[in-house]
Amino acid sequence: MDPTSEYLSLGEPDRAVHLWRYTPWRKVHPTGNISEIPEEVSPPGLSLCCINGEVPEGVRLIQGSESVEGLPDSDSTTSSFMSAITANSTWTVEVDPGFNPGKTVVLEINADSPISAVHICMKVGTHSNFEFVTVVKGDCEWLGLLRTGSTGEGSITNDVVVNLLGRGTLLRVDSIHIDRDSQVVAGTISSGSEMTKSDLRYRMGQPGGNLNVLGSILSAEEMILDHHIEIHHDAPETFSRLDWHSACGGKSKTVGTGMLKVSEGSRGADAAQLFQNLLLSENAQADSIPELEVTENEVVGCGHGTASGPVDEEQLFYLGTRGLSSEQAKSMLVAAFLNSTLSEMGSMEMHNWLVEILSDDLDALGI
Amino acid sequence: MHLSDENPILNIIDLQVGIDGNQILKGIDIKIPSGEIHAIMGRNGSGKTTTANVIMGHPSYEVEGGDVLLEGESILEMEPWERSRAGVFLSFQYPQAVPGLQVGNFLRKSVGSVRGDDAARGSTFREELKSAMSKLNMPPSFLSRYVNDGFSGGEKKRFEVLQMMLLRPRLAVLDETDSGLDIDGIRTVAEGINDVVRGTDNGALIITHYSRILEHVRPDRIHVMIGGKIVTSGGPGLATLLEENGYDWLEQRVAEGEEFE
Repeated sequence: MDPTSEYLSLGEPDRAVHLWRYTPWRKVHPTGNISEIPEEVSPPGLSLCCINGEVPEGVRLIQGSESVEGLPDSDSTTSSFMSAITANSTWTVEVDPGFNPGKTVVLEINADSPISAVHICMKVGTHSNFEFVTVVKGDCEWLGLLRTGSTGEGSITNDVVVNLLGRGTLLRVDSIHIDRDSQVVAGTISSGSEMTKSDLRYRMGQPGGNLNVLGSILSAEEMILDHHIEIHHDAPETFSRLDWHSACGGKSKTVGTGMLKVSEGSRGADAAQLFQNLLLSENAQADSIPELEVTENEVVGCGHGTASGPVDEEQLFYLGTRGLSSEQAKSMLVAAFLNSTLSEMGSMEMHNWLVEILSDDLDALGI
Repeated sequence: MHLSDENPILNIIDLQVGIDGNQILKGIDIKIPSGEIHAIMGRNGSGKTTTANVIMGHPSYEVEGGDVLLEGESILEMEPWERSRAGVFLSFQYPQAVPGLQVGNFLRKSVGSVRGDDAARGSTFREELKSAMSKLNMPPSFLSRYVNDGFSGGEKKRFEVLQMMLLRPRLAVLDETDSGLDIDGIRTVAEGINDVVRGTDNGALIITHYSRILEHVRPDRIHVMIGGKIVTSGGPGLATLLEENGYDWLEQRVAEGEEFE
């Protein structure tokens, strides 16, 4: 069945499903009419270069993509909708086997049309070392970003997505397959768009896969940032960690739902999920629900946890005793909280570049 | 009368402090003239750390009476950051960890806040930082770590002393900075304290259980605290007396209602 037919055959997703518990599909859909797939959809502008502006060798942005390997088994609303809406705006980021430039590659997505959508397929070559940042910018009302692909055997990939949309809604759907002995750091930095719904799925279908999912989420005003992360261990000796930090100010709301699935036969799987929320105002709200489905007995460990609270008074006092005013100290503590995950996302070069982006946003949001 | 007697660096007058309705400090008086180092000794729970926290303005404590003057001016109404900028420094017994906040970045912002932005810029600051770290045997890689995150006990104490050296306070309060340090660590930390106070018109208040650090710092005066009161004060010889005899004899005399000079 083609994606359009598949989507139209589906009913409204059940809110009892983990993915749709907090932000229903009709709030995320570009028109609100969930029985339609909009026709007036423009592709966003794309550019690929290194942080220093050089055009990288060994990485190409090619129009079109090979057939997409299916998402792991669960709700197909977002995947079928996004595949349908991006049929004419599909690109592949192709990375040569053995690629190792020691530089961070940046894909900039600029979306200024009212409704915009793009499908980016990543093909990371075997034994390559690829550090990749996707920055989403613009003033569109709605942007759909579908990211699919696989990381080649033995490869090391730092894959970071930064949401800097000025307003509107971002629907992001990821389906990433992690190959044998491949290491992936999957980072999300979000401080843009009024509403974000992310449906991020990672599958380790080969032994030796290693995945570290990190989030640095900053919400303010009346933003709603909802991220759903599914990690599937479908092979022996696979490892995953999720460390998700959300700082919420104003009347904003962040949601983090995690689903960790360890299927039968995934002996030696080692997995853990931790959501931490920093509440910066009385009206801010943060919901985190990690869930586990483990059907293999011989695992190293599978755990999850969540913690929410305001800025620590003892930390504020400590910084105050070093001459930092309450506002300075609070701002530094928020930045530190977000930086503790951000700093694990990749190289020092990338980290410094990302900190600059985040600092501008902290100032702009008045936190 | 000496000028420093009129306006000592620190003058604590009949300070009474409580927390959650329980009185902890029951009227203490300490006067530290400029250029002097004083020490408070006493057992756990005697009120030593409370004294340090109240000087620095910890919000959990309620001052029920008395005053704390810094160079003649009351600081009780000031926020902790205002006290810091006025020249008060507290080295914590258990410094807070701040994951995600890099030491180098933190030091630059802190020095900029206390001593002004110019002091935290350029090669002068870098040289000052390098020199202080060298004195404390701290490697340059320390700067890229996160504040107190994963530090050993000794590293935390050295980092507190590093901050003290860079912030150049008028009054340094050191709350059990010697605990958890080996003998070399104590010597290094003591050198840092002497650096900040000796030969200057600054002052320091060292809070400790033990006399070891006092052998290297040689305080001008020692105050012994029991049950929220200063029960006796004396010269450096008092530390030796306490080291040899413990606190029992003092506690017994206090229990018997004996007044000390």
